[in-house]
Amino acid sequence: MGSLLLAVRLALANVRRHPAQAAMLLLSVTVATATMALGLSLHGVSDALYAHTRAATAGPDVVVLSGESGPEVSAALASLTDRPDVVAHHGPYRIVYAELTARGAVASPVVVHGFAERPGPVNRPLVTDGRWVRPGGTVLERGFADALGVGVGDRVTIAGRSYPVVGIAVTAATSIYPWGAQIGPYGGPSDYTGLAWMTAADARALARSRDLPVTTAIDLRLRDPAAADTFRHTVPDDHPVRVFRPTFRSWQFTAQHDKVILRNAQPILVIGGWMLGFLAVTGVATLAAGRVAEQTRRAGLLKAVGAGPGLIAAALLTEYLAAALAGDALGLALARLALPVVAAPTASRIGDAEPTAGAVVAATVLAVAVAVLAALGPTLHAMRTATVTALAASARRPRHRPLLNALTAPLPTPLLLGLRLAARRPGRAVLQACTTATTVVAITVLLTVHAQRERGYGLDGSVALPNLRGLHDRRLMLAITVLLVALAIVNILTFTWTTAMEARATMAIARALGATPGQVTTALSAAQLLPGLPGAVLGVPLGFLVYLLFATGNSVPPRPSWMAGAALGTLLATAALTALPARLAARRSVARELAAEAA
Amino acid sequence: MPGAVIRARGLVKHFGRGQSLVRAVDEIDLEVAEGETLAVMGPSGCGKSTLLHLLGGLERPTAGEVWVAGRRIDTLSERALAGVRRRSVGFVFQSFHLVEELSAAENVELPALLAGCSPREARRRAMLLLERVGLAGRARHLPSRLSGGQRQRVAIARALVNEPLVVLADEPTGNLDTAATLEVLRIFAELRAAGQTLVIVTHDERVAATADRLVSMRDGMFVDDTRLAAARPRGLGGLLWPED
Amino acid sequence: MQDAVLAFLAKEPAHGYHLHTRLRRALGPLGESLNRGQIYVTLARLERAGLVVAERAAGLPERPERKVYALTPAGRERVAAWLNEVGWPKPDLAEFHLKLTAAAATRLADPVALVAAQRREVMRRLREVQQAALAEPAESGAGPLLEGIVLRLQADLRWLDACERAWSGAGDAAGGG
Repeated sequence: MGSLLLAVRLALANVRRHPAQAAMLLLSVTVATATMALGLSLHGVSDALYAHTRAATAGPDVVVLSGESGPEVSAALASLTDRPDVVAHHGPYRIVYAELTARGAVASPVVVHGFAERPGPVNRPLVTDGRWVRPGGTVLERGFADALGVGVGDRVTIAGRSYPVVGIAVTAATSIYPWGAQIGPYGGPSDYTGLAWMTAADARALARSRDLPVTTAIDLRLRDPAAADTFRHTVPDDHPVRVFRPTFRSWQFTAQHDKVILRNAQPILVIGGWMLGFLAVTGVATLAAGRVAEQTRRAGLLKAVGAGPGLIAAALLTEYLAAALAGDALGLALARLALPVVAAPTASRIGDAEPTAGAVVAATVLAVAVAVLAALGPTLHAMRTATVTALAASARRPRHRPLLNALTAPLPTPLLLGLRLAARRPGRAVLQACTTATTVVAITVLLTVHAQRERGYGLDGSVALPNLRGLHDRRLMLAITVLLVALAIVNILTFTWTTAMEARATMAIARALGATPGQVTTALSAAQLLPGLPGAVLGVPLGFLVYLLFATGNSVPPRPSWMAGAALGTLLATAALTALPARLAARRSVARELAAEAA
Repeated sequence: MPGAVIRARGLVKHFGRGQSLVRAVDEIDLEVAEGETLAVMGPSGCGKSTLLHLLGGLERPTAGEVWVAGRRIDTLSERALAGVRRRSVGFVFQSFHLVEELSAAENVELPALLAGCSPREARRRAMLLLERVGLAGRARHLPSRLSGGQRQRVAIARALVNEPLVVLADEPTGNLDTAATLEVLRIFAELRAAGQTLVIVTHDERVAATADRLVSMRDGMFVDDTRLAAARPRGLGGLLWPED
Repeated sequence: MQDAVLAFLAKEPAHGYHLHTRLRRALGPLGESLNRGQIYVTLARLERAGLVVAERAAGLPERPERKVYALTPAGRERVAAWLNEVGWPKPDLAEFHLKLTAAAATRLADPVALVAAQRREVMRRLREVQQAALAEPAESGAGPLLEGIVLRLQADLRWLDACERAWSGAGDAAGGG
């Protein structure tokens, strides 16, 4: 207990002494865990939303659709209600295929379900706004209405006839917008389609007026909802419905189908979460490495007063763990706030979105991993160093590298100094390369995603109604890229500042010997930029590979000039970013730097 | 004064302000003649290192003027000042201040390369100078593999590589044992014989005794300025056999 | 001087000029003022005291520089006694201290100025020794001797600093009172 108190006290003192470092750890862990939690929660949340909607709308266990219409079709479908495992039903009802125009401009395919004014025991769409269908008025499915930008009281034109929108509703019987059609006329394929309801009489009138394609469906409730998937196999081959080639849609199928819209979102978020976590590790590890001497001295001090290795490790790690766990909590809270938007790009489902337990655990593991990976090196170093050496800890000396020395000798002086500085910390050079690579990967994926052409949800693929999935993917991609670039910027500033602080002595000497501030800045920038170079070059193909991981077959690679621009732009931005702290460091008084070094 | 390599007029350098104001250099006038070896002595904290930094353009004075080779340097931009440090001044420090990442030869070459010398020419000069300080065999060693005396000799070679008008040495033997001190003083004696202007800040009387002129500093001011007489040859017997 | 000459004969008998060379080499630059005459005078005294015997080299005319000197048993004892002696020359600081005290008391001279003058003199000597040391090859046997003299002079300089602090403080106190 006493040692725990000691560890906490030391950690608090450290946070007070290094607030920037604690803030950076907190920030980067927050971003990484939020992204990770979002990504891993998506499917669970989609399932939960479906379940909630299904419960609220008395969702059917199985919807049976036939591509045709007529009394024989209806009779065949109705005969399914005689099956022993069917306990309730709604329908058969007519589904009319038409075109809907809203606000006089936006046109979309639509299916109109002909429903009773008083809904039956199964598939009772939940009216979220306005009221249920009445003669002459139509109710729009909420996801569809949202995409159209239409509300109660607006008028829409369906197959040339104008209808007032009397209500907005959701249902669990069909997939989310834009997959309201489920099947096309005569069982063929369907386009991106919205869903609307009318009274059965209005639907029949609509179909007759223009001779529109019509299909028929029936909603069934089973004795055992879990067996909905296998219901189709219980219908014998000689059953009358078989003549009309029925499509069986179980509720499980519809729930799964909802996730199609999230197909790319999940890998974007999960891979993005890993990449953000990686950047968090590199940034915090660099800061932690900058404090290695201090930590080593502290460990030596603790050893000298008789602390065991466990206490020392706890004292050194507590600070990082505490900040990381705080970041984790913050990240999970943010994820919870963002989940409804991220997990449900359409408004077709209702219910609350909570991060799933698995996502919470994974995010926490990520946070702890970031803290431990960042602090492990310095902590181990501190614990391994002998007490007396630790108390007299000083900067480490460069190793003799004949090959590097021979290779770099002919370079211009600032580059030569820069390379030697970079070589002094090979680990950091690798991290720097990885940071650059990660940034370029993200930008490449973003560019590749933007280069793809996609069908809009409007009539004939018009983008007047945007492709919600693509839009969602691009927005998530953009958000992740912005976060990655932000963390990369913080990292580069950290790298440069840490290097500038460590290279203080060298740079002060160079300036005493007559190096101009420009030459010193160039050397420090070069020390950052040179490792970044292979990172940028590797980043482009890696980014394209990452894109291919979740791309469909007909992917279009972005223009090579864009890719090269991304790599070059990243390097230029790195150069500009490094120049700032390097320039600041180059302005410090030479005499004082030298005096500090000699002390 | 013609032939003055360095001239300072009313030189003042303050650090801090208010209660904690330190007058490191307080109204100093100084002229260093060409070919002269000047030693500045004083207890630590008397401002002698600050004076040296002001003369070499490493610090800017609070007030007063510094002239190097007839050019006023205290008003120059940081960039132009770097040029002065590169071409007119060579620094030697107590803690050597070699660039740890660079080999002995590369350290010596550094100022030459910074001054725009070709790598071939810089290498030629570096090897000549390392030979002169007796370290030709250690050209490829990193500083960490050299002894203190060897490091300081590399630092002296480095200070000389651009043939500066004046070498400014700040406690050059402060971290050295007797043998290494003698090596460094021998090199200084050779430089002096070759007409090199030298300003040495030291608190070691052995080093000061080898100068032509000795200035004593207390609390940022000069308290004594003595021209040391040329040594009488064969004068040492008197030290040994006073009674005979 | 006598003891040192005697000790240099302890290894083996030697000619006077040989002895002179060895002594000069050991003393380095400080031995330059040691002339051969002094050696012969010393050897003559030692011979009279029965501490050395001179043997004339066979077949040569009797001249002092041709004599080979060797230790007698008494001389050998004297060398052993000298080597084990722990006496140490005392620097005479009292005289200068009294000089300063008197100067301050009588106001005939400024003690601080006296200290400054003395420091210049010591610096001059230091400069001589230092230049001699720089001229000496590194392997010279006289190195430790020169370093000893340098360290002594440095100690003197430090003592002069202490004197200056003491007497300038006294002057301030007198001026203030």
